[in-house]
Amino acid sequence: MTQLLQLSISGLALGASYALIALGFSVVYRASRLFNFAHGELLSLGAFLMTALVDVLPWWLALFAAAALTGGLAALLERTVLRRMVGRPVFTTIILTLFLGLLLRAGIVIAFGTDTRGMPTPWDAMAEVQVGNATVLLSSLVSLGATTAVLVLMHALVQRTPLGVAMRAASESQEVSLALGIPVGRVLAFTWFLAGATAAVAGIFLGMFPRSVDSNLGYVALRAFPAIIVGGLESVVGAVVAAFMLGLLEVLSQAYVNPHLGAFGHNFHAVFPYAAMILFLVLRPRGLWGEHEVRRV
Amino acid sequence: MPTRPLVIRYEDDLQLFPGLWHKAGAVLTLAVALGYPWLASERWLTVGNLGLVAIVGAAALMVLTGFAGQVSLGHAAFLALGAYTVAVLGNKWGWPFWLALPLAGAVSACVGVVIGAFALRLRGLYLAIVTLGLVFLTQHVLLAYPEVTNGLSGTSVPMYWWFRGDVGSAASVGDTWQLGPVVLGFERKLYFLFLPLAAGTVWLTKNVQRSNSGRAMMAVRDQDLAAEVLGVSTTQARLQAFGVSSFLAGIAGAMFAFQQQYITVEPPFDLNLSIQFIAMIVLGGVGSVFGAVSGALAFTFLSPLAESVGHALPLIQQLTSAQQATVLLSVVVVLVLVLEPMGLFGVWLRIRRYFQAWPFRY
Repeated sequence: MTQLLQLSISGLALGASYALIALGFSVVYRASRLFNFAHGELLSLGAFLMTALVDVLPWWLALFAAAALTGGLAALLERTVLRRMVGRPVFTTIILTLFLGLLLRAGIVIAFGTDTRGMPTPWDAMAEVQVGNATVLLSSLVSLGATTAVLVLMHALVQRTPLGVAMRAASESQEVSLALGIPVGRVLAFTWFLAGATAAVAGIFLGMFPRSVDSNLGYVALRAFPAIIVGGLESVVGAVVAAFMLGLLEVLSQAYVNPHLGAFGHNFHAVFPYAAMILFLVLRPRGLWGEHEVRRV
Repeated sequence: MPTRPLVIRYEDDLQLFPGLWHKAGAVLTLAVALGYPWLASERWLTVGNLGLVAIVGAAALMVLTGFAGQVSLGHAAFLALGAYTVAVLGNKWGWPFWLALPLAGAVSACVGVVIGAFALRLRGLYLAIVTLGLVFLTQHVLLAYPEVTNGLSGTSVPMYWWFRGDVGSAASVGDTWQLGPVVLGFERKLYFLFLPLAAGTVWLTKNVQRSNSGRAMMAVRDQDLAAEVLGVSTTQARLQAFGVSSFLAGIAGAMFAFQQQYITVEPPFDLNLSIQFIAMIVLGGVGSVFGAVSGALAFTFLSPLAESVGHALPLIQQLTSAQQATVLLSVVVVLVLVLEPMGLFGVWLRIRRYFQAWPFRY
């Protein structure tokens, strides 16, 4: 029971990071109708910027600065390259973002090298806290809290502010929004900024103690894909809920499913979400909360 | 002056080489292909062999993505299946390569059809992510049975002429032949094995493209609803595309394994390999066999060039040579996508149109 509680908390903490990643994918998909395969590299860029910035700024300021810089870069990418891709086939945008990701990755290696870095934290990185009978890392709790706060803030921004209304309108129909006087271009750039900034926050918390920051951190985003797909590409809420489920599934299956599979179980938790996703999509091709599209051929 | 020959009969549309220029081009290509192994150095011969492997792999992806419009990130999985099939058949039972090669295609095709069945209801991005999942699952399965695949440390890929028990291991393809003044080293022998395979693949995909099954695939790609209304079975067309594509990908994987002689699961067979094949067909131009061939050749021959250029450029010097090649190729692919959506095929069309319309510019 203690183990279950302990695993659930670390699963939720992992899920919270996945939720931030999924949120970035989902808002970008809703705004630009493209799936940003370079998102993982934004995440790793954010983490690397953070490791560099804490040397000159206090921790919390460095967090904001890293997020803002990463967001700025994402907005720049949107403005210079991806906005030209509006209306081009899905295929083209997939390739383009994949290769932009490769370029970003090379840029990160050039700027920060290939060494593995620890993510500095203002608290003791290995500090542990008692929750009931379970012992959990303080970092896990903080990342769970911080990411949840970011998620709530994002929700408030999208639902309650004029900017959020503009974002929702632009994702609904760009032409109608333009006709109503919404500066769709700027809204798109802002959406990408948000996606980049949340990716950086996710990267920073993912780089903390049990893990570390290296140039492969961006691959974590690949592991969040099942959540985005199962949650439904168009639904931000669905993606976030599915991301928490994914985090739980991954951690719990590592503890309870892997040992029963013998040799096959080694690292099985890393691919289990993908297997689950494939089976799930056979039953519901549009995901849990995806737009229901009636199409029979 | 007509800008293309007027096609009035179905037979004309079916012709492989409709005009004099096409015939001349085919003869020239054949001459270059036959002359290349005698003129190229050892290093460029290896590149040429990889180019032939890439042609088969890119043509395979072209059937699935270019003709049938099914975006797949799972190409690496099919190549891995083909590669490991020949490796296991050669190591465990000492099968000759010419028997293992089609079986590699068959194994890969079986998996491809099963995945195709799963993919019937998915489209676009959902399909891309599911096929990406296939890459991870394949990697996991290959690594989970080290007694068969030798796990992380990788496995050698023997290449026998005949069953091992009959002739002994001396009958491997690896040794050099001396036929009078002609020396046939391993790479050169491979080249003459790969050349007909690549040519056969090009011919096969060209036949798929101009037959009714290919037209069905293109109808599904362009508008599946309309295709179904017109009596095209979208299920059948999609499954055929997955079957043909994964069969050829399995062959390409087997060829790659023979060329490498020693394979591991990762690095070669990961998402990056899938991306490379997608880059090839994008570079060449999506939807044409010419695009697959030219893209595959451009990509494989640019990689060593990019490595040598990379040493001279200031910032990217500090990367490894493979990363340098990746960076320069990524720049090329991004530029092609932004500026010339139809790839090399589009450039070729533009040049041809210019000369056909000469001296007028329209």
